[in-house]
Amino acid sequence: MEQRLRQEAKTLLEQGKVDYIIGFEQGSLKFTTAPLITKDKGDTDRLVINPFIVNNLSVYLTDIEGRVGIVAKGCDSRSIVSLIQDNKVNREEVVIIGIPCPGIIDLSKIEQLVGKDRDELDDITRDGNRVVVTVGSKKKDFPITEVLFDNCLGCEFPTPQEYDVLLGEPSTPVADKTVSRAKIETLEGMTQEQRWQFWEEEFSRCIRCYACRNICPACFCQRCFVEESEPQWILPIPQWQDNLIFQAIRNIHVAGRCTDCGECDRACPVNIPLRSLTKEMYDLVDELFHYKSGMDKDAPPLMTAYEAEEAEDFIR
Amino acid sequence: MKKESEWEPKLVGFLCKWCSYAGADLAGTSRKKYPANIGVIKVPCSGRVDSLFILKALRLGFDGVLVSGCHPGDCHYQTGNYRARRRIAITKKFLEYMGIEPQRIQASWVSASEGGKFAEVVTETTEKLKQTGPNQLFIEERQGDGAKATARG
Repeated sequence: MEQRLRQEAKTLLEQGKVDYIIGFEQGSLKFTTAPLITKDKGDTDRLVINPFIVNNLSVYLTDIEGRVGIVAKGCDSRSIVSLIQDNKVNREEVVIIGIPCPGIIDLSKIEQLVGKDRDELDDITRDGNRVVVTVGSKKKDFPITEVLFDNCLGCEFPTPQEYDVLLGEPSTPVADKTVSRAKIETLEGMTQEQRWQFWEEEFSRCIRCYACRNICPACFCQRCFVEESEPQWILPIPQWQDNLIFQAIRNIHVAGRCTDCGECDRACPVNIPLRSLTKEMYDLVDELFHYKSGMDKDAPPLMTAYEAEEAEDFIR
Repeated sequence: MKKESEWEPKLVGFLCKWCSYAGADLAGTSRKKYPANIGVIKVPCSGRVDSLFILKALRLGFDGVLVSGCHPGDCHYQTGNYRARRRIAITKKFLEYMGIEPQRIQASWVSASEGGKFAEVVTETTEKLKQTGPNQLFIEERQGDGAKATARG
């Protein structure tokens, strides 16, 4: 699959069908990958596909001018479709190289299971529904449901919904919905005061670095409300009240665009469980309006559309 | 400092210019009585009300927010209230999940001819807020005296 990707990317650049290729290359740390954005066809040999291609590359699409060939997993392709729906990306100017995603491995889960730092691990390989971790001469294997990211376990559409080239056969989801929603269910079991208390504590750690916002493909506003000064909605100083409002509004603003890719959760330097918010919003939108983000590029965005009769029960 | 029994909820109402604001006017000219707890902000359309307005009001210490617009199908701008409906629906549910009492966020459809309904809505909303109690969400030390100073940002 990797060879085919390199070939496709090279051909696209050679034939002048795209100006840029966005994909993944080997990262500087073990078992990591880094985004690769290139104009040079020689660079295409650095492109990789492995179980660690975690980033949602569609975030770069709004910044790059020209035609782009982009490597997309299931959730990424939906982010791209969502950007097309919002007129942020022109379908004709993007070539989507779809990858049927088998699920991405969460290194911190592996570290916890093995009890060793990622630098001490020699190899991690996926074998069907098991993952084999090699440390020295020892081998340990774990079921895939224990090592994938929470959002991958809740994934419904691992195969891209929109693509120009699909590398390989469509993959089936490794669903473990209970694990995927576990944190949310714990919260839902709490009282209203306990939930507020929980989020107060979590957002007390927030340093307002805006990594969650900057990595989010759905957060594409040129000017975010947090930077507005007339009126100044929230203070730029990190205090939990304003941090919480920032994140609540961010989630409401990306409702119907968020594809549960989990990037904000991973980007957070102080480990606030942001996916417990995004996933809840994702499910809420589905429950109230039967809408799943980024499924149909011709559909109007969620918040600009309506049904004559819906969600009326709370209004007097 | 006021005693708890004297505490009155403060409510901010975002009323659409075309229907609910005129409805509130009618309530006044027809001498309908309703609680003075509401402070009204006129907006061009209920669709103008961003969820941010609601949270900002709560952050400033208001005890509740009422968003009111034209009945479905009657919007001056055709679809503004439908969009408001979607937005408020998710806002209310999502903020409830985060731990904000859902009673603090109210919505209603009041037409320009429904002065009576406007008075009813405000009376009811104020009653609900009295039961919910003072908004202490954004105050650091939430336990203690119920009628604490508001959390101004």
